[in-house]
Amino acid sequence: MATTDIGPKNPVVKVGEAAIDYVDRRSGATTGFKWFLFRNIPAETSWFQTLGFTAMALFGLQAVTGVILAMYYKPDPNSAYQSIDHITNEVTWGWLVRGMHKWGASAMIVVVFLHLGRVFFFGSYKYPRELTWVTGALLLILTMFMGLTGYLLVWDQKAYWATVVAVNITASAPILGPYVADILRAGPEFGPDTLSRFYSIHMLVIPGAMALFIGLHLYLITKLGIGEPPHSKRRMAVERAEDEARRAAERERLPYGRRPVPPSVPSPARTTPPAQAEERA
Amino acid sequence: MNRGQQEYYKRDYALAKAEGKPFFPYAIYKDLLIATLAIGLVITFAIWHRVEMGEPVNPASTDFVPRPEWYFFFLFELLKIFKGQNALMPVIMATFIIPNILMALLILTPFIDRNPERRIQRRPIALLSGIAVIVFLAYMTILGGESPESLGGEGLPLSGLEADADAQAGAQLFLANGCTSCHAVGGVGASGPGPALDNEGSRGNDAAFYEGFLKDPPGNVMPSFTTFTPEQYQQLGVFLSGLGTKYK
Repeated sequence: MATTDIGPKNPVVKVGEAAIDYVDRRSGATTGFKWFLFRNIPAETSWFQTLGFTAMALFGLQAVTGVILAMYYKPDPNSAYQSIDHITNEVTWGWLVRGMHKWGASAMIVVVFLHLGRVFFFGSYKYPRELTWVTGALLLILTMFMGLTGYLLVWDQKAYWATVVAVNITASAPILGPYVADILRAGPEFGPDTLSRFYSIHMLVIPGAMALFIGLHLYLITKLGIGEPPHSKRRMAVERAEDEARRAAERERLPYGRRPVPPSVPSPARTTPPAQAEERA
Repeated sequence: MNRGQQEYYKRDYALAKAEGKPFFPYAIYKDLLIATLAIGLVITFAIWHRVEMGEPVNPASTDFVPRPEWYFFFLFELLKIFKGQNALMPVIMATFIIPNILMALLILTPFIDRNPERRIQRRPIALLSGIAVIVFLAYMTILGGESPESLGGEGLPLSGLEADADAQAGAQLFLANGCTSCHAVGGVGASGPGPALDNEGSRGNDAAFYEGFLKDPPGNVMPSFTTFTPEQYQQLGVFLSGLGTKYK
């Protein structure tokens, strides 16, 4: 028995335990954490399977740097450029936070695409993980939209004209295109409200949707378990054993010189009862 | 996948889990390692390559050639492939039909590929289509990155530029650095405050003159451009010293 169990408990520990118990009885947090953290996963996982977590970490980085940038940024055509200039040249570490937000966007696109490739080539989207793939595909599209809507906020020539082109492209789509373009522009023309609309889409609408889909994605991954790499040692051994068993079964059914017979058509001649074999001998 | 294959998968995965180990800490440490590395790289890049301020928005200057972020280059290039003779249909192909088909294929992948096999060397169609998509995206992105629009514009209506690579690069520098917001060449660009440069070449200045001029322009109207490399000064010099004579 551990020595800490002898004698009265430290009151701080007592209060701490009571607090944890209080929360746990009402929320089931311990069960949830155990379910999430201490579940068993296959013994072998590939290093390529770290890309999903990395994409999520980069999303977190974008959220944190984005919140810091939002403290200084002014989504108004008359002051947006100056506020970015202020962040870049005057705010302490401002250039670094802005640089991280910009490079973080590219890094996130790269990692999200690598993660997509890993899941595709590992066949991890197959039963039972179809819906995990669907939420992931939506996350990829939302990530691209983050890049598109964030571009305008810098409010320089490049940002402005690239967004004009993107919105014109949207407007050229049949049926809904013109309406969607009007919604994006907050009117028929690029105006003062366009920038704040892009700002709110970039920092409220899409991140909100992404948080929701990341939650669903994580829940499904936890519920269904981490996919075993198709080339894991255990899986390969299973396949070898199955191949071996199949060959053995075929050999057993085949007297020498005969062509293989499909196992679905059992022929009585192949399984000679021992009595008959004795007779023949 | 039929019921039997699903049952087989469930039994197999239960076995893998039974022989496995807990997520924490055996998998999460790998995740944390790679994620830390990625964030470290982002910070390194942010320090090593600082974000510059572009030109402030000027909705009046229509000669600016827009360029998307690199991850949209493939869509940008698609637009050029389908930039067809009679307006509407090709544009809709590149902006609406193909991107939407790509998105639908992406979302529906698990419902299209229903083969239970997971090892890529036994899934030839998946392998080939995966490689085809990667090659397509990479090719279009590189094409988009190298296209003259993305470097700042092809827009100067001058003949004779094609013959000299330096002059062409100089013309692109001219466009990319906002020279056209003050100077006009061949009818492209603003008519002021800078003088039109249509006949700049007839003044007979060499590349070294332009280097000195750009580093420290006389008067206080024109900003100085000290960030160019010697090669870029050379290219701008070749371009400017041929204007009106070699390139018209």
